[in-house]
Amino acid sequence: MRKGFLLSIISLLILCCGCNKESSISPRTASDKKVSQELDQYIPEIGKRGGTLTLSTVSDPKSFNPVVAKETSTTEITNLIFEGLTRMDGVNLEVKPNLSRSWDISEDGLIFTFRLRDDVLWQDGKKFNSDDVIFTFNDLIFNPAIPSSSRDIFTIDGKKFKVEKTGEYEVRFTLPKKFAPFLMSMSQEILPKHILEKPLKEGRFNYAWGIDAPINEISGTGPFKLAKYLPGERVILERNPLYWKRDSSGNSLPYIGRIVYLIVQNQDTAFLKFKEGEIDYYGMRGEDYPALKPLEARHNFTVFNTGPAFGENFLVFNQNSGVNPRTNNNFVKPEKLDWFRNKKFRQAVSCAIDKASIINIVLNGLGIPQYSSMSPASGFFYNPDVVKYEYNIEKARTILKEEGFVIRDGFLEDAKGRRVEFNLYTNSESTERIKIAQIIRKDLENLGMRVNFMPLEFNLLVSKLDSTYDWDAIVLGLTGGIEPHFGANVWLSSGHLHLWYPRQPKPSTAWEARMDQIFVQGVQEFDRNKRKTLYDEWQVLVSENLPLIYTALPLSIFAVRNKFGNLYPTSYGGAFHNLEEIYIKP
Amino acid sequence: MNRETSNQSTETRDKKIKTPFSIAMARLRKHRPAMAGFRVLVVLYSLAVFADFIAPYGFDNEKRENAYLPPTKVHLFYSGKLSKPFVYLCKQEFDHFYRRIYKEDKSSPYTIKFFCRGDSYKILGIFKARVHLFGVKEPARIYLFGADSRGRDLFSRILHGSRVSLSIGIIGVGVSFILGMFLGGIAGYFGGKIDNIIMRLCEVVMMVPSFYLMLTLRAAFPSNLTSLQVYLLIVVILSFIGWAGLARVVRGMSLSLKEKEFVQAARACGISHIGIITKHILPNLFSYISAALALSIPGYIIGESALSLLGLGIQDPYASWGNLLSDAMAISEIQRHPWVLIPGIFIFFAVAAFNVLGDGLRDAFDPHKTMSK
Amino acid sequence: MKAYIIRRLLISLPLLLAISFITFLFIQIAPGDYFDTLRLNPQISEETIKLYESQYRFNEPVLIQYFWWLKNLLKFDLGYSFTQKNAVSSVIKSRLANTLILSLASLIFTWLIAIPLGIYCAVKQYRWPDKIFSGLSFFGLSIPSFFLAIILLYLASITGILPLGGMRSANFEGLSWAGKILDILKHLIIPTVVVSLAAIASLQRIMRANTLEVLRQRYILTARAKGLPETRVLYKHVLRNALNPLVTIFGYHLSDILSGAALTEIICNWPGLGSVMLTAVRSQDMFLVMGTMLVGALLLILSNLLADILLAWLDPRIRYE
Repeated sequence: MRKGFLLSIISLLILCCGCNKESSISPRTASDKKVSQELDQYIPEIGKRGGTLTLSTVSDPKSFNPVVAKETSTTEITNLIFEGLTRMDGVNLEVKPNLSRSWDISEDGLIFTFRLRDDVLWQDGKKFNSDDVIFTFNDLIFNPAIPSSSRDIFTIDGKKFKVEKTGEYEVRFTLPKKFAPFLMSMSQEILPKHILEKPLKEGRFNYAWGIDAPINEISGTGPFKLAKYLPGERVILERNPLYWKRDSSGNSLPYIGRIVYLIVQNQDTAFLKFKEGEIDYYGMRGEDYPALKPLEARHNFTVFNTGPAFGENFLVFNQNSGVNPRTNNNFVKPEKLDWFRNKKFRQAVSCAIDKASIINIVLNGLGIPQYSSMSPASGFFYNPDVVKYEYNIEKARTILKEEGFVIRDGFLEDAKGRRVEFNLYTNSESTERIKIAQIIRKDLENLGMRVNFMPLEFNLLVSKLDSTYDWDAIVLGLTGGIEPHFGANVWLSSGHLHLWYPRQPKPSTAWEARMDQIFVQGVQEFDRNKRKTLYDEWQVLVSENLPLIYTALPLSIFAVRNKFGNLYPTSYGGAFHNLEEIYIKP
Repeated sequence: MNRETSNQSTETRDKKIKTPFSIAMARLRKHRPAMAGFRVLVVLYSLAVFADFIAPYGFDNEKRENAYLPPTKVHLFYSGKLSKPFVYLCKQEFDHFYRRIYKEDKSSPYTIKFFCRGDSYKILGIFKARVHLFGVKEPARIYLFGADSRGRDLFSRILHGSRVSLSIGIIGVGVSFILGMFLGGIAGYFGGKIDNIIMRLCEVVMMVPSFYLMLTLRAAFPSNLTSLQVYLLIVVILSFIGWAGLARVVRGMSLSLKEKEFVQAARACGISHIGIITKHILPNLFSYISAALALSIPGYIIGESALSLLGLGIQDPYASWGNLLSDAMAISEIQRHPWVLIPGIFIFFAVAAFNVLGDGLRDAFDPHKTMSK
Repeated sequence: MKAYIIRRLLISLPLLLAISFITFLFIQIAPGDYFDTLRLNPQISEETIKLYESQYRFNEPVLIQYFWWLKNLLKFDLGYSFTQKNAVSSVIKSRLANTLILSLASLIFTWLIAIPLGIYCAVKQYRWPDKIFSGLSFFGLSIPSFFLAIILLYLASITGILPLGGMRSANFEGLSWAGKILDILKHLIIPTVVVSLAAIASLQRIMRANTLEVLRQRYILTARAKGLPETRVLYKHVLRNALNPLVTIFGYHLSDILSGAALTEIICNWPGLGSVMLTAVRSQDMFLVMGTMLVGALLLILSNLLADILLAWLDPRIRYE
C-alpha cells in the first residue's frame, strides 16, 4: 500500500494487503480454511513452469502508469509488472530486499543507503541501475505537474526526501525528518528512465503508458510483462523471461507462464465464471458464500476466510467550502455546507444508519460493523475503543432537534427553515454498494431528509471527487492497509484524497489540524507503542468527527481452485502474495 | 351473452345506417385474439389505476428482516380444519452455509383480511385513504410474488411500477402522435419545400439506430434528476424517436387523400388549410392511426424498461417494470430468487396484448389486406 | 446504374451532415460546460487543454465550433475520450468489428430462418404447422429482447451448454485456428438468437403474406396447369417474386438489428459498440457518445444504400431516378 490509499471499485480486493488480524472478532463458519499458523515455516517447493492463471476484474485498467494510478483496477495489473526497492513479506510481514540487495541506516535514522541489484534487467533488455531510482523519485513522484498519490506519503511536513546517486548501483535517501515506515514505503514502483524521460520532457507523462500505449513500450522489472490488452475483454500478462529472481535450485522464476485477466461486466459474471471453472480465483461477496461453499469438494476448489477485509464502505459528505475559480460559484451550496460541516449533523446521520441491516442484507451476514478508520485486519494499529455512533434513530432525532432541525410537513428543515435535501451517489459497478446506498437513503428518509439517490459510473465519481467537487454525498470505498501513514493522502488536510475537502491550503477545522499534527508526528516516531498512541488518537478523532461515516466491513473470503502449488494464502497478502513462486500442478 | 350482442347489433343495423366505424368495431369484436388482448389491457390498466388500493403495501414499504422472502404460502387448513385463507409469520435465519432459511411460525395464523387498513395513500391525489383490498396483520406480511432485498413486496411494487410503465406508453405515444400527425399532415398537404424539409428531418431521426439515439439523448441531460424529471425526460426521448416514422406514413396517406374528391370539394368551399387538415384529412386517417397507435405503444414500454434496466431511467425507491427487472441482470440473483423475473413477464404480457390488439384493429379497419408493414 | 449509385451517395451526404450537426448540438446542451470540466481536471495538462482549444475552438460561437469539429471529423479524428484515456476513433475501432460480427450473424441467421419458414407457412396455410409458427412468431415479436437475453443466459447457466456472455473463452489464446473460430461461434449463439428472434418473426410474417399473394397470381396457375412440379413452381416462380418486396425492408430491418444488437451486447457482455456507448453515457463522455452515435448512423446509411443498390439490381422495374 505504498501508493497511499486508492479508491476501490468493488469492496473486496483481489491482491490486497493486510496483516495478522485479531482473532475471533468476526462471525465465522466452522469449516473454512483459515490462515495456517505454521506459515512461518513456509518453504517453497521447486515448481513446474508453464500454465495459465485466469483472474477476473470488473473494470478495465485506466492506464498502465503506476505513478498516476488512482484506482485499484489499474494497480492490480501494474503491481505484477513493476517492483520497488523493498517488498513486504506476505508471510511474516517483514520488509525484505527486492530491487536492492541490502541497506544501511545512519545512527539518527535519517540517511538510508541502498545497494541495488546489478543483475536486474528491464523487460526490454536494458539494465536497471540507480538512475532509474533517482528518476522515479526526483522527476516523477516529486514533480508537482504529475498528480501522484505517493507524493503525499513521501512528503513530511511539507519537505521532500533528498534522493542521490552515490554509485552505479547505490542510492542514498536523506530524509528531512524521521520517517518510521520508510523501508516499507520503499516498495514504491521504480519506472524506467530510458523510456519515460522523453515523454516527461515533452510534457506528456500523464498520458504516457495510457491504455492505448504500444504494449512493448511498457516495461518493468517485475515477474510478468504485458502481452496483450483487448479493451472490455481481457488483459494478458506473460512470464518475464528476464526476471531476476531464482528458486532454490537456480531455475528462473516465475513458474506461471501466463496470467489472463478477464474483464467482466460485473461481479456476478465473475461468480458464474468461477463456478463454471473458467477462472481460478474469486473474491466472494457475502451472498456468494452459500452458493459456493457447498460445492467446494465437488468442484475442486478451496474457500479461504481471512477475517475482516481491508476494503471498506463509507458515506462521505462534501465539506468543501471552496469556490470554483472559473465560475465563482460555491462548490457546495451554502445551506448544504452548513449541514455537512456540522459535526452533530454527521453524528446524527451515523446514528441513523442501520448497520445490522447492511450486514444482513448486503453482506449476507458475513461482515462486522465498522466504527474505526482502520480495519481490525490492520492488527497492531487498530483501535477498537473509538466513539461509536451506533444505530439509534431516536438518538439521531434528538441530536438533530438540539441543532435546531425540525420536521415540517414530513420533511426535515434546518433552523433557518431550509428543507434538507441532497443527492447521494455511489459507483454503479458495485451492486453491493448500490444496496448499501439504498439502505442509507431509506434510513435518512426516516429522519425526514430527502435524498435523491443515483448510481454513477466510477470514473465520473472520481472526477467529481478530485476535480469538479460537484457532489453532496457519496458512498464509496478505499483500500486499507496495516500502516496508517500510507493513508496520509486521505487524512492530511492537504491530501489529494482528503475526500471531503481535498488539497486544503490550511486545515479548515481544529480536528483536521490535529490530524495533520498526528500524521506528521506519527511518521517520525520510531517507538511502535508511541506511534500507536498517536494513531489511536487519530482514530478516535475520526470516529467523533465522522468525515467518513463507516458502515460495515465484509469478511475477506475467497475461493481458489485446487491446482496451485506453493499456495499459502495469508490474511495480509491474500492468495497470491508469492505469485512468482506459485506453480500449476500437473 | 354473445347471442345477445349479435341480436342487439342486428337491431341497430336495422335502425341505423352502417358507418365504416361500426362495421369495423363489429369485426373487431369477432377477432378473438384482439379481444383477449383488449381484456388483458383492461385488467393491467385497472391494476395500475387502482394500484394503491389493490397493492397491500406502499412502493417503498420495507421490512428488512424479510430480505428475499420467497412468495408467501397461503394456507387453508389450520390444525387439520378448513378455515379462512391465512398465512404464517416467517422468520429468516442463516444456516451453517450462510444460506437464508425461512421458517414459518406455526403457532398463530394470520388470516388474510379484505378491505383492511394499511399504508395511507391519496385517491386522485386529494382524498386520503387507508383501505387496501387485502392484507394481513403485522408483524406477518403477505408477499404474493416474494420480497426484494429489503423485504419490500414485489407484487405491490409491480403494481406501483405499472403506473410508470403503462402510462409512459400512452403519454409517449400521445406526444409523438400529435407531433407526427401534425408534421406529417402538413408535409403531405402542402407538399413542395415544406414537405421536403420535414421529410429530411424525419430521415435524420430515422437514420440513427434508435437505441443509440436514445442513449445519446439521455447523455445530453444530467444524470442527477429527480424521479419526476426522469419520467418526463423519458417521455421526451421516446417521443423524439417515435414521431418520425409516423409523420412519414401520415404524409403518404394525406398525399393520396388530398386528391380525393371530398377534400377538393372542401377546398372549393373555401375552408382553411387547418380546417381541411383537421376536419377532413385526419379523421380519415383514424383507422390507420388507431392500429398504429396500439402497435407502437410496445416500443415505448420497452424503451422505458430498457432505460430503467440499464440504470438510466427510473431509480430506486420508485418502481417501474424495467427498474424492477434490473435485479435479474445478475444471473445468480435469478438462481437464488427466481421471482425477480416476474416483472419481465408483465412487460411481455403488456407488449403482447398491444400487439394482438393492434393486429386486430388493423384487420378490422382494413379487410382487404391480410398483411401490411 | 452507376449514375444511380452516385446519386444515392450524394443524397446520403447531407443526411450524414445533418446527423453530425444534431449530434454536435447534443454536446452543447449537455449538462454544464463539458470543457470546463476538462479544464478543472488536474490530470489534464494546460498544454492539452490549449491543444484542444485550438482544435475545437470552444470559446467561439456554436457554428464555428461545429465547423472545426467537422474538420477534425474529416480527418477521422472524433476527439479524445477522457474516461477511456484514448482517442475516440481508436476506442470505436477496437469495438466496431465485434458489433459487425454480431449484426451480420443475426442478419444471416434471420434470413436463413425467416424466408423458408414464411414460404413453408404459406404453403401450409391454416394447417397446424402454420398455426404453430404463427403463434411462435407472435411470441417472438412480443418478448422484449432484454428479457429474452436474460432468460437464455439463465438457461445457459443452468445447463452449462453455452457460455454465459462474452466473446471469447479464457483459454482463447491457447486454441488452434479452428478452435478460435468455433469458440467465437459458440459465444455468438445466444446474442444472435436474441437479436434475430423479433426480426425472424416479422420477416416470416411478411414472407408468408407475400408468398400467399404470389400464389394467388395467374401465372402460378398457368405454371401449375403446364404440369410443372410443385417444387419447381415454388422455387422458380414463387420464391423470386415473393422475395423482391423484402429487399425494400432490408434497410429497415438493419436499423432494428443494429439497435437490438446494442442492447443485447450490453446484457450478453459482448464487447461491441453498445457497451462502449453505455459506459460513455454513464460517465458523460460526450465525445465518445457522439462518435459512437455517428458511427451507428453511418452503418445504417451505408446499409440502406446497399439495400437500394441491391433492389435496383434485382428489380429491373426500378427506374434509376
